Amino acid sequence: MNSEVSRTPTGLHALHPLTKLTLMLLALVAAAAMPTTLAVLAVFLGLLLPLAAWGRCLGAFLRTCLRVMTPFFISLVLIQGFFTPGPTALLRLGPFRYTLEGLLVALLFSSRLLVGLGAATLLMMVTRPDALMRALVARGLPNQIAYIVVTALQIVPTFQARAHSILDAQRSRGLETEGRLIVRLRAFAPLVGPLILSSLMEIEERAIALEARAFNRAGRRTSLISLRDTRGQALLRRVLLLAGLALVAARLMLWRAA
Amino acid sequence: MITVSGLRYRYPETARPALDGIDLSIEAGELVGVVGANGAGKSTLCYALTGYIPHFFGGTMEGEVQVGGHDVRRTPVSDLAADVGLVFHNPFNQISGARYTVLEEVAFGLENLGVEPGAMRERSMHALRATGLDGLAERSPFTLSGGEQQRLAIAAVMAMQPRVLVLDEPTSQLDPAGTRAAFEVLRGLARSRETTIVLTEHKLGWLAAFVDRLLVLHAGRLVADGLPRRVLAEAVDQPWGVGATQFTRAVQAARQRRLVAEGTILPVTLDQALEVLR
Repeated sequence: MNSEVSRTPTGLHALHPLTKLTLMLLALVAAAAMPTTLAVLAVFLGLLLPLAAWGRCLGAFLRTCLRVMTPFFISLVLIQGFFTPGPTALLRLGPFRYTLEGLLVALLFSSRLLVGLGAATLLMMVTRPDALMRALVARGLPNQIAYIVVTALQIVPTFQARAHSILDAQRSRGLETEGRLIVRLRAFAPLVGPLILSSLMEIEERAIALEARAFNRAGRRTSLISLRDTRGQALLRRVLLLAGLALVAARLMLWRAA
Repeated sequence: MITVSGLRYRYPETARPALDGIDLSIEAGELVGVVGANGAGKSTLCYALTGYIPHFFGGTMEGEVQVGGHDVRRTPVSDLAADVGLVFHNPFNQISGARYTVLEEVAFGLENLGVEPGAMRERSMHALRATGLDGLAERSPFTLSGGEQQRLAIAAVMAMQPRVLVLDEPTSQLDPAGTRAAFEVLRGLARSRETTIVLTEHKLGWLAAFVDRLLVLHAGRLVADGLPRRVLAEAVDQPWGVGATQFTRAVQAARQRRLVAEGTILPVTLDQALEVLR
């Protein structure tokens, strides 16, 4: 998905990865600092949605947010509503009271979660993980950590493909893998064992291959991909960081006053 | 370029040495094949020449291995990588997983060596063209076939332009056309760049046609070393488990039935067989 998106560069895609990261971090800080649901939703509507539209991925962004948020939202509304004490009961179910105060807390938490998940989703949609990691390595992040993050993201589809192959192999030997829950659970062990063992065996060869490519060599590294940065963006990042700090300070002052 | 003297190596927690008293000298620009039955020590020799033994695998090592002027015992593998390249038989596990396109994958090693981006792109594209992968430069490495991934593994190490290239069964997943192309690339490297190449293989016909010299390992010992035809003809009567090409077998059978002269030197390639039968 990322490489497809990056082939149609727009203003947001063309931004330096650190600028995009700073924008998303500011959204997170703003969501945590805003005291009301409406203010938090304003961050989503006023910052993330326009950015997604700028990145030409508004539809996909909204669909992902909806799909990921729905289970969290339902759980929060149910749990907070029934377990947050308050004087205003909206509903009574036997000994249980569903309170207005609980509903309001659920809405505030949900809106913050929406901004957090939304910021992470949008960042992934408009930034190649390896580009972001290259930018962070250039700022001092250890190369090994960057490698782990990028490979973890890339390796998931191949891990799934291998799981399917193992499952097919087990099926061809007569293992039942579909039907009742107990049947599926029984099929789990013959899948997980070979999957984990084959992955462990792979680690040694991968380590050898990395060494052969001078991965642990000390000294200067270069990059095939040049990450375009401008003075304007560097200034923007500083302004965004200051704005984030100001929001945190304002939140602390509000908290003290209360 | 490569000097091995008195090399004896035992993997951790094993009783029998995997390599037992290897003495060997290889000149710059030589293309040397290594054959032997499974477990003969071929892969272990590859790891010893590239420094993974003893640095990576541990175990007990005696003797000396000098490659490209480096004593492999005293040089970290990551430093050796600039001068000594390794390609092994499983191509999937040689994909770094850290890059999104075939071109970037080839450039990964060059990035670690600190090569400038312009030269990096040029060297990567040259390696891709040489291995016939230039049309796939923008594809994800994970979407390539096994044979394409094997060519990618060769390209990735080739782009680093090591002075010594060690390949452990590099054509195991290649079809005949891919195998020929790979051997031609390797011979070209040995001739034009004076890259010293050591490769293990089971495909005797290809080895006989392309390598300058053939080594036979048997139970960790170097039991034969010489011109491919002479070594493979000798191997027919030995318990080394090397096998023989169909041309060798055919002329051997003809010799036993006195269809060709008793002292006929066994051929290993089609051309040699035709020459004998003529």
